[in-house]
Amino acid sequence: MLGWWSLVRFIHVVSAMVWVGGQLTISVMVLPVVRRLLSAQDRLPVLTGIGRRFGLFTAVAFLPLQVGTGILLAWHKGVTFSSLADPGYGRTLAAKLVAFALVMVAAGGHGYAMGTTRQALARSLAIATLVGSLAILLLATALPQS
Amino acid sequence: MTIPVGKATRPPTSTNPITTAGMTATAGMTGPRPPAGQRPRRSWHLRANAVVLAYVALSILTVVLQGWPALPMPRWLAVHLLLLGAVTNAIVTWTEHFAVALLRARQPSRRAAAGRLAALNLAILGILCGVAHGLATVTLVSATLLAVVVLAHLGSLLRIARHALMGRFAGTVRFYVVAGIALVVGITFGTLLAMSAVSHQWHAPLHAAHVHANVFGWVGLTVLGTLFTLWPTVLRTRMVDHVMLAAQRCLVLTATGLAIVVTGLAMDLRWAAVAGLVVYGAGVGVALHPFVATWRRKAPRDLAAWSMAAGTGWLVIGVAGDLVLLSSAPDLTSYLPRLDALVPLLAVGFVLQVLLGALTYLLPVVRGGGPAAVRAGIRRLAPWWRVRVVALNTGALLIAVSGVLSVPVVVPAVGWALVLAPVLMFLGLVIGALVQPATRPALGGIALGLVMTLVPVAIAVSGQGAPTGPAAVSLPGARGVQVVAVTLVGMDIRPAVITVPTGTRLRLVVTNHDAMRHDLAFPGSPATPLLAPGSSATLELGTLTANRSGWCTVPGHQAAGMSLHIRVGGAGAAAAGTGAGTGTGTGDHAAMPGTAGTTSPGPDVHGAPGPGFTPYDARLAPAPPATLHKVTLHAIERETEVAPGVRQRIWTFGGTAPGPTLRGKVGDLFEVTLVNDGTMAHGIDFHAGQTAPDQAMRSLEPGKSLVYRFRADHSGAWLYHCSTMPMMAHIANGMYGAVIIDPPNLPKVDREYVLVGAQIFLGSRSGGADAGALRRGEWAAATFNGYPDQYVHAPLTAKAGERVRWWVVAAGPGEGTAFHIVGTQFDTVFKEGGYLLRRGNAEQGASQVLDLATAQGGFVEQVFPQPGHYSLVDHDMRRGENGAHGVVTVTR
Repeated sequence: MLGWWSLVRFIHVVSAMVWVGGQLTISVMVLPVVRRLLSAQDRLPVLTGIGRRFGLFTAVAFLPLQVGTGILLAWHKGVTFSSLADPGYGRTLAAKLVAFALVMVAAGGHGYAMGTTRQALARSLAIATLVGSLAILLLATALPQS
Repeated sequence: MTIPVGKATRPPTSTNPITTAGMTATAGMTGPRPPAGQRPRRSWHLRANAVVLAYVALSILTVVLQGWPALPMPRWLAVHLLLLGAVTNAIVTWTEHFAVALLRARQPSRRAAAGRLAALNLAILGILCGVAHGLATVTLVSATLLAVVVLAHLGSLLRIARHALMGRFAGTVRFYVVAGIALVVGITFGTLLAMSAVSHQWHAPLHAAHVHANVFGWVGLTVLGTLFTLWPTVLRTRMVDHVMLAAQRCLVLTATGLAIVVTGLAMDLRWAAVAGLVVYGAGVGVALHPFVATWRRKAPRDLAAWSMAAGTGWLVIGVAGDLVLLSSAPDLTSYLPRLDALVPLLAVGFVLQVLLGALTYLLPVVRGGGPAAVRAGIRRLAPWWRVRVVALNTGALLIAVSGVLSVPVVVPAVGWALVLAPVLMFLGLVIGALVQPATRPALGGIALGLVMTLVPVAIAVSGQGAPTGPAAVSLPGARGVQVVAVTLVGMDIRPAVITVPTGTRLRLVVTNHDAMRHDLAFPGSPATPLLAPGSSATLELGTLTANRSGWCTVPGHQAAGMSLHIRVGGAGAAAAGTGAGTGTGTGDHAAMPGTAGTTSPGPDVHGAPGPGFTPYDARLAPAPPATLHKVTLHAIERETEVAPGVRQRIWTFGGTAPGPTLRGKVGDLFEVTLVNDGTMAHGIDFHAGQTAPDQAMRSLEPGKSLVYRFRADHSGAWLYHCSTMPMMAHIANGMYGAVIIDPPNLPKVDREYVLVGAQIFLGSRSGGADAGALRRGEWAAATFNGYPDQYVHAPLTAKAGERVRWWVVAAGPGEGTAFHIVGTQFDTVFKEGGYLLRRGNAEQGASQVLDLATAQGGFVEQVFPQPGHYSLVDHDMRRGENGAHGVVTVTR
């Protein structure tokens, strides 16, 4: 049923979509082209620029929207802290939160590594963030919608 | 003409064609080959072998996940992932490489080879899926495709040979061609078996022929043919003189021997197969001659050489062991399980070891980069190589030992660990060596991401692994909201009983783990919505002051047992009541006088048995050859779990209910000594004999004994039971059993089981069944062989296509049996002394139920049409759905 809660869920899904989709676009579409066209020196400012912009979007738009709508949805569904330990819905949601926290740590680590020009570490963490994001989506689809 | 510069100074016999051909890729930069050949060839082999290694990894995963020794299906999968997946890919890739290298031939079209490999893997995956899921059409189409691919591969090899520039090593290609023909034969037998297209007496012969054609033919001949040239190459020495002459003799012997073995096995001519195996073994012996001579010239000193040497050794041991097993077995049906015990040894010791040894040498060679780079590559794959070789071969030895001797289960487990560790290490080293430094961060990232995925997924699925919970939960006198997780699964609610102190606020988190929709509703309280499989809901029951009962409102589900009882007691009573967490059946009945007016929940018929549960062995051995059967039976009274959560005293013959099954032939004499070790009088009555009851069936006081002699004048499935009054109580408490007297000329079948139908009555823990319940016929659970649903918890087994004979006796005390096996028909029915139906009857009729009145018996025979899970039930559903139910797991 279309209602206000659909709008909240819509925002939750769309902001996740943009964040994961943005990572995919950068990693799979942009980076290979940049690597092919630009030399190592010219590459760095481009990559740093893209990273900064994505980090800004994450901090200003993605995180507040995602966490805010997530809390609202959980409240609407009657989730309590103790019910997070229950097998089934509770644990799946708890696992999703763990995965989200891990992904945020990895994403933050990626930004830090880029800032300190540790290219290999940054690349590892970027890919780990992407794979971890897919894990969140997997767990989201596993949440029973009853 | 393409002999590289670096080798040209040696005499022609010293040329190692494989090395030189392998190096040609790099040396070819200065040779006549186009320089562009380097990269495609290199990545071609690496890609093709990545597929090989992926199959090896999947095979290991299957072994680790499922446990090879225990389950037949994963064992099939592991064997075929390795032999059909990894090895067939490797053979198709490398035999072409060797043919080109040895014959100095022009490299045939890569595109055609790639097409063949793609089709090959499509066929392999089709076979794996088709057989695993019983899809006959998929299996047939895939197997046909596989045969076509193999024939196309042989065609390609022959074309290479025809255009060869050097014919000296054409003998090797002949090995490959014979091996490929063996595979096509092996595939044909395998497909017939997988599709259950042959009657069961041909199962063992064709299975044995399938194994021999594939292992000794496809793999064995390919390896032997390759070793003549590869062995000296790996040792970096010259070939011995006349090596190809030995190869030719070896091929004649092995090919002839193999043809005789496979034909002999397939036609069930065991001695012909033995003779063929001797010839095959002689061929292997011929191959060993240049092998040992080369070794004398230069001993193996690295991983590749030692692996190939040890692998060859296991081939010799395997052939010799097979010869012993085949010649000592009475027939192919009893030979087959012994051959199955030999297969892991050959798969690991011989095939896997030779494969890994060869790859250790060949992968660096095809990767190229010059002799120094190749040596460095080989070294990179070699750390701890001595330990790895020893571990793998020790492991193979332990697996071999546990296949033929009965040893503690830890022995094969250690064996597998010793085998798998070096294989995993090899895989890791290969990946590490092949991955470009530039892509390492990406791989690291993927690995980290997978960990970040697996940890949350493990959290998410935790708590769902064991969907059956305890039968009863008792909460201590705690304040606040108490939360209990409730699971709906298998037409059951877990826990079925929750005991709480008065005034408890209870919240239920209800999860549906069943395959169909359920709900849970309490009259006058909120109910859960209809829950789809996998979904959950929370139910607030508020503050409890009185007993409550809830159930699933889907029609019929409450009757099937889906109800939940909440017992509310005084705070003190609950704490003292049922003790440590899980209430027991005794507590239910003894400590709940106050609930006498309400419906008793009864025993938890479908619950999980307690820790001491051992299923009654339903397998029935053939009648012993002796005509006099001396048996001593002790009347024993003991307390046991008669149904999940219900412990009460049972009276038994020999400690179990039913007592031991006796079996003989018409005319046999039985001399049974009955010793009363109980606390009350007991006697015995054998329906299988005819005698005056006065003495033989008299009641014995505790401590006394008597001898009961009878001659089995007539065939049948007979009841025996305690003859002391009240017999109703003695039978209900467990004093019954079966005597099987075979009718003359009873045909041999693949398996025989015996099932005794009986009902359980609740009573007191110390006294046994309640007299009032007995009189009213209010049994609490029905059983086959004394425990409700026991063969659901410990399923019986059979293989598809096998003929199984079921002996059934209805012990009562009050009920008969309507024995049915879901999904099958009985083509033979023998009831109360005569055949009602025989296989192949003129009417082409069959039977669905063996109907036995109380104390009658008989047998039925049927053939399981395909793998699956077949329920055996008492088709009087009051009994069938209350414990007279079991499962037969039918495998391939």
